This record gives sequence, C-alpha cells and structure tokens, in this order.
Amino acid sequence: MIKHLIIKTFVILGMFGMAYSAQAADPVKIGFSIPKTGMFASAGPSQLNAYLLWQDLVNAKGGLDIGGKGRRKIEFVQYDDKSNPAQAAKIYEKLITNDKVDLVVAPWGTPHHFAVAPVVERHKFPLVGNTAASVALRKVKPGYLWFTSSMMPDNVAKAMTAMLKSRGVKSVAILYNLLPFASENIQFLKPALAKAGIKIHFEAKYPPDIKDMTGMLIKVKAKNPDAVLVHSYPGDSILYMNQAREVGINAKTQYVMVGPAIGFFRGMFKSNLDGIITMGSWAPGMKGATGSQKFYTAYKKKFKGHEPDYLDTVEVYASVQILEQAIAKVGLNREKIRNAINTMTFKTIYGDVKFNGVQNGSTPSSFTQIQKGKIEVVWPKSRATAPLADKGAWAN
Amino acid sequence: MDSLVSPQLLAAAMITGVLYALISLGLNLVYGTMRLLNVAHGDLVMIGAYVAFIAFSLLNIGPLVSMFGAALICGSLGWLSYKCVFQRLLSNGQLLSRLEENSLLLFFALSVIIQNLAILFFSADRKGYEYLSAIVEIGDVRLTGARLTVLIVGAVISAAVVFFLRFSLFGLAMNALIQNRDASAIVGINVDRVQMSSLIFGFGITGLAGALISMMEPITPVMGFPYTMSAFVIIILGGLGNLWGGFLAGLLLGVLEVYGVALTGPEWRSVLVYGIFVLILIFRPQGLLGSGKTAR
Amino acid sequence: MKNSLKLVLAVVLCMFLAGVAGFADEYILGIGFTIFMYIALAQSWVVLSGLTGYISLGHVVFFGSGAYVFILIWGLVPVWLGVVFSGIVVGLVSLIVGYPVLRVRGPYFVILSFGLAELVKNLVLINEARMYVSMRPVFGAPALYQLYIAMLLLAIIATGLTYWIRRSRFGAGLRSIREDEGAAETIGVPVAKLKLLAFAISGVIPAMVGAIFIMRSGIFQSGDAFTPIVSFTMVTMAIIGGSDDAPGPFLGVVFLVLLQELLWVNWPEVYMIILGILLLGFVLFIPNGIYGWLSEKYFGNKKNVT
Repeated sequence: MIKHLIIKTFVILGMFGMAYSAQAADPVKIGFSIPKTGMFASAGPSQLNAYLLWQDLVNAKGGLDIGGKGRRKIEFVQYDDKSNPAQAAKIYEKLITNDKVDLVVAPWGTPHHFAVAPVVERHKFPLVGNTAASVALRKVKPGYLWFTSSMMPDNVAKAMTAMLKSRGVKSVAILYNLLPFASENIQFLKPALAKAGIKIHFEAKYPPDIKDMTGMLIKVKAKNPDAVLVHSYPGDSILYMNQAREVGINAKTQYVMVGPAIGFFRGMFKSNLDGIITMGSWAPGMKGATGSQKFYTAYKKKFKGHEPDYLDTVEVYASVQILEQAIAKVGLNREKIRNAINTMTFKTIYGDVKFNGVQNGSTPSSFTQIQKGKIEVVWPKSRATAPLADKGAWAN
Repeated sequence: MDSLVSPQLLAAAMITGVLYALISLGLNLVYGTMRLLNVAHGDLVMIGAYVAFIAFSLLNIGPLVSMFGAALICGSLGWLSYKCVFQRLLSNGQLLSRLEENSLLLFFALSVIIQNLAILFFSADRKGYEYLSAIVEIGDVRLTGARLTVLIVGAVISAAVVFFLRFSLFGLAMNALIQNRDASAIVGINVDRVQMSSLIFGFGITGLAGALISMMEPITPVMGFPYTMSAFVIIILGGLGNLWGGFLAGLLLGVLEVYGVALTGPEWRSVLVYGIFVLILIFRPQGLLGSGKTAR
Repeated sequence: MKNSLKLVLAVVLCMFLAGVAGFADEYILGIGFTIFMYIALAQSWVVLSGLTGYISLGHVVFFGSGAYVFILIWGLVPVWLGVVFSGIVVGLVSLIVGYPVLRVRGPYFVILSFGLAELVKNLVLINEARMYVSMRPVFGAPALYQLYIAMLLLAIIATGLTYWIRRSRFGAGLRSIREDEGAAETIGVPVAKLKLLAFAISGVIPAMVGAIFIMRSGIFQSGDAFTPIVSFTMVTMAIIGGSDDAPGPFLGVVFLVLLQELLWVNWPEVYMIILGILLLGFVLFIPNGIYGWLSEKYFGNKKNVT
C-alpha cells in the first residue's frame, strides 16, 4: 500500500517535472545582425564565433538561468547586414517588431552600433554593445545601450603614454591609417605624448589601400626613435611586418594596432611576431577574469584548434557574459534587465565590469605582447600576465 | 633627400611596379581587346590566392607550383564564362551596341556570384600563411623571399606574355581584332576563337598573379576590389589594348606610388593615383603610349 | 490608357503610400524607404545615362557629396533646408566639374565616372583625417516616418522629372546625343550645354537622397557614403527595369527590393548568388528591361534602345 503511494507520488512528481520542463523548453529568442557579405565580412566571424560559443556553453548547462526560476535555452535569430549600417537598423526593427525576439545582442562595428541605437531606444530593448570604440559614443544618452569596450581612444592614449614612459621611451615615430578609429587614436595620442615630454620624431598617415611602406620606413629608420607606433589594420599591419624587417627597424618597442591578436596573423609571422605589442585586454590565465579557461578551451575545441581573436572575440564574449548575469539576477523583463546592467558589477573574462553611464568604467585600456608565440597582457601592471619585454631582433 | 636614392626604395618601386604590370596584363587582354568591362578582375586575383592557400595548407604545395594550377583554374573559368555568357554578348547585334554597359553588368553579376561562393565555401574570415618570409640580402637591398620571388617571377612572366603576344600569330590576330573587328573576320581570322582565347589567357594570368600575391596579404573573399581599380588605372595610362604600354604604365605607377609619396606624403597616395587617372582620361584618353586610335 | 486616368491613378497611389506612414510598422516603413530611395536614384541616373547614353558608373559621387555637405552643416540649419541646400550645392559644383568630364566619350566616360567617385572618396577621407574627425554620428534625426515621406517626395519628383524630360525638347536633344552625338552637333543641337545640364540635374536628387540617407543610418563615414555598391545597384535597377523611360526604374526597383526582402530573409548567403544569376539572365535575354519587354508585348512598341 505504501509502495503504491510512493510509486504514485513519484509518477505525479515525474509528470509535474515533465510538464515543467516542457514549459521551460521554450527557448529565449535573441536577435542580431552580422556582416556576412560586404567589406566587413572578414571581421564578422570573430564576433559570430563568440556568440555561437556562448550559446553552446549556456545551452550545455540547460540554458540561460532566468532569474533563478529555471533555465531556457538560447535560440538565435540572425541576419546578414551586408556591412551596411542602415541595413543593420532595418534588421533590428524587423527582429523586434516582426520576429518578436526577447532580446538583442550587438552588431559589428561602431557605425552599426550608432545606426541601431535609435531603434533599441525606441523599443526599449537593452543592448550591451561590444565591437565599438569611439569617443563619439559618449554622446549617446544613457538609456538602453552600453559599450563594453575598454579601448576609448582618449584612454588608450593615456595608457600608451604611461606604458612608453615606464620603458623610458623618449622618442617615437607614429604611422597611422586614415581610417576613423586609427585617426581618432592619434588625435588623443599626440597631446598626451607632448604632455609627457615624449618627442615625435616622425609622423605619417596613409590611405587604407596603401601597397608599399618602404619610403616611410626608411625615414623612420633614419630618425632611429625609441618606439615605433603603427596604428594599422590587418592589411597594412602585414605590410609593416614585412617591410619593417626589410628596412631593418630595430626599435625595442614596436606597436601594431590591429592584427597580431588574430589567429591567421600569428600563423603568417610566427616568431617574427615576438615582442610586438598590440591592442588587447585579455590573455588566458589573467587574474581576476571569470570563465577565462572555460572560454579558451571550449573555443579551441569548437573551432578545430584555432585560437580565438584576442581582441574582438573576447570582447564580444564579455558582453554576453554581462547579459547572461543580468538575466540570471532579474529574469527576462527588459526594464529590470536595464536597471541591472546599470547597477550591477559583472564578472567577465575582462575582469569585473561595472558601467559608468554608457561606458565600461572598470576595464582599463590594455595592451598585450606576443612572447614566444603566446599572447600575454603586459599593461597595465595590475592585469599583466607577463612583464613587458624588449623587442629583440627579428627572427628572420 | 638622400633617402630617395636608396637602392631599397628602388627595389620596392620595381616590385610594386612589376606586380601592377602583371595584374593589369589580364585586364588589358579582356578590356583592351574586347572592350569588356571586367569589374570582376580583382575576384580572379582572389581565386588565385585561395587556390594557393589551399594548395599550401592542405597539400603543402608552395605557390610557385600552385600558381600554374591557379592559372589553369582561372583560365577554365574564362572558357566557361565565354561559352555561357560572353559569346552571346559578342555575337548579338543589339547587345553589342551597348557593349560596355552590358559587359559591366555581366561582370558585376559574375563578381557577386564569385565573391559569395567564396564566402560560402571558405568563410569570410581572413586567412594567411607563411612562405618565403625570411629576409634575403642582395647587396644593399633586403627583401623578404616572397617579394623577391614576386619581382623575378612577375617580371619574367609579364615579359614572356608581352613578347609572345607581340610576335606570335595569335598575338597578331589579337592586335588585328583590336584595330578592326569586322576587317579581321574578313581576312580570315577566327574572331570567335581569338576572343575566347583572350578571355582564357586574361583570366589565367590574373589567377597566377593572385597566387603570388597570396604570400603577402590577408586572403579574404573581398580582397579583389583594389586590384580591379588599380588595373583599370594602369591600362588607361598605358593605352587600352597596348600590352607593352600597360607593362610600362604598371612600372610607372609603382614608381609613382613609392617615390611620389616620398615627396608628397603617403596620405596622398590614393588621391595621386586617382587624380592622375582622371586627368589622363580627360586630357589624353588614349594613354601615354596609345596612338590616338580607339577602335570599336 | 488615357493620360488623365493615368495621372489620377498615380496621385491616388502616392497618397496611399503617404498614408501608409500613419499606420505601418517600422519594418514596412523601412522597406518603403529603401524602395523610394532607389527609385529616386535610378530615375536620376536615367536622366543622364539612360537618355544621353553616357553611362555613369560613379553616380554615388553625388550621393556621397550630398551626404557630406549635409553633415557639415548639420545642426547649423533646419534639417529640411539643409537637405535642399546640399542638393543645390552639389548641382552647382557638378556644373563646374561636368564641363571637362563630359568631354570624354564612350567607354572612357564610364571608367572616368568610376575613377571620379574614388577620387572624391579619398579627398573626403583625407579631409576628415586632417580635421581629426573619425566619424560623424547623427543625433536627433527626424523620425522614420518623416524620412519615409521625404524620400517618397524625392521619388515622386525624380520620376516626374524623368517622365517630363523624356517627353520634352530637352529630352529629345538628349536622346539625339545617344543616337549619334556627331550628327546631333552638326544639325545644331547644343550638345555640350545639354549634356552638362543633364549631368547636373542627374546629380541634384541623389545628393538630397544622400543627405536623407545619412539621417537614417545615423552616421557618416567616407568609405560607406561613397561605396561603389550604391552606383552598381542604381545601374542594375535601372537596366533591369528598363532605362529608357520613367516606368522602367520604378519597376526595376520594386521588383529587386521585394525580391531582396524575400530572399535575404530565407536564404541569406545564396540570395546574392541568385541575384547575380538573375542579373546575368536579364542582361543577356531581356536587354530592354522589364518595362521594355512589357511594352513590346503589350503596347506593341518596338523599343530598340541603342
């Protein structure tokens, strides 16, 4: 008799359980756009991979923790924005009004964030931005958009100047691409250097489709500065890495803005990359980071041994960690999520992150350096995974 | 400015120039001879680059070998395009009367198709590989092995093609076509065959150039556009259909890019290139070496 | 169809489209915005390239220049005044630039227009870099439904302009240039003046379109504003629709935009490939565009666009 009672209880509990999980099985729809075609298509995968990895890791746990009341899996609704900001705006309108997604995550690139901003403001959808960095972002009124980036050009300029001073650098050569982010960096770097008494012995800017830097580099070499700062994008970064070796630039501090953090770049230059400093706020094993090792191992497993992009992929991942933790605290109500993002301190692979208005107020502008084929955070010292080293002679 | 006379700078100018010359050859064969506005020209470079990349990463075959494979593949693409698309364009009277616009649209369509197929098959992210990256010293000049290779191979192949087309029967036939298509048919030249061969040849050389370039640049499905633009600038400079002119114009552009910016400042590079392009078109459209006859 | 009836229908259609702004959701407004934008662009393109035969591949130069002028005076003048001002400035400048540019004939003009767009793009890029401006965000732009109405207006004006020019003496002069410029000159057609006028007119509306577009995308960046994709898309839509008369671009744009919406939603990677194949098919087999084909079949006009 008691046996029957027990069995019945278990059966009823089991049915409740199944009914409950059938309800909880409704996935959370999260929408975004990504450049799959067009001129930024080559940057898209860095971001998409982060989103997909996050989805895998979260769904493996059973889904997003919804305010402590059970888990629901993530389902993405994504479209190709063709590298066109206006198209991104259209897509987010569609996601919100037509596809009726529960939440959105960010598109790629600063212009796209700007284009999407009015849309999320209007519909009151909180959006944690990632791949966007420009001081113009501060003009966005605090509302439903935040920027995870730690690379605001004015902060980068201060950090870079401090780093150069710590190495006793007295003279620099600056080369930079005419494209917006690079130019904006220089706008702040020059006065910062002047204030610190570091002299600019050579300065040159070049268009994005440049094919040869030899002329510039010969002049740089002639001035023999302590540091060479190249604000470049992958294409021109490659140009620099090849032609700096030809011309024989041997400054002990060399900075290549974008490129060395991306996997393919390191495959192209192997040990020639040792000693090069680049933008980045993360390395595996960094103190204070949450979920670092898991992210790194899972990424390599999912993407066939390839290294993640230490710049974009990491930042995107941090941005979704923030979203995940906000949802875990307050559930899916968008107003509550918004308040949570404004007030909480989040534990991400960038370390602890708390937003100051629209900006990431916690993560300092940082630099990484390739040492013996590995990427290490070298500045600021509080985050460093390895000390800043001199750049030795080129490998070949 | 004594840095201007450095041999290193001269070498850089030569390499840039030779690369430009090689890239523009293919376009000259297509646009110069048949007035087909090949805006998919750069995409052929891209295909060649991917062929070299795959050959190296999967089969460990270096680009000096795979470049012939790239030429073959692109050449076949040329044959395919001719049979399926351009043969009709060039033989239909109504379509022929708006040759440039129609060819532009057709090549634009092809470009869209090729780029998106590449995105589908290879994914859009950047790829690259290390090959001949060690520095080689020749006297006062230091070059990566890859750039030295491009210089030598590029010069040899460009010169070979130009001479072949100058002195061979096929080359003469092509020249005849440039001068006067109808008359060529009358004197017994197989217009159809020559046109097809031009397309195959033009595409093939460009694919080969792409394989060489893959050593020095990130490989992405959208990498081709700057090469399309440069190639147009060069063949205009040299005179449409004038292969020797295109070769010299390529060298000239390389010199301009490397030395010109040494004088004006590198940021003016693109303005210089396009500015000269626009000026030449307005004041001397037959190019620096063209002789003033622009046949249709 | 009697002309007066056609006119009434057109007016009703426009009023309906305007009314849509009142109740449609943003997604529909967005599609409408795109359709009107490309109608305005394609119609303007036809005024120059369709009618005179001077095929412009760099028409984005007007679009981008209009956007740049607009963003430079943003905040200094009332929004709609700024839009009109951008159009006027670009129109005036193109009268000056057009004079040497239009001396170039045939295939050379085609690539010249292309090179011109790239030249201007790079000049703007340098100018921005000199002023240490990285990008110009646009805050406080008018709401989407207002931009929608504005673009609708431009589309109507552009279509009307093309329609009227096509049937005017001005248009006859332009078409004579297309048929045989030398002969036209011989019989006294003021070829240079007509070309220049067409060039400038074909630029004013794209300039205003560019200005309005910037308000929609929320940001100005030289590379985006002068992208050749805009040029090619304009040309594609005009030629697919039919580049000889006003209904052509209208049909081409509607057809392609709706097709895009259908395809990119469902088959994003493949949609571009399908588009490319369609374009191939149209150019090879339906050279007079949708409108040309329709008018041959149903109106018995043998439109031989030479």
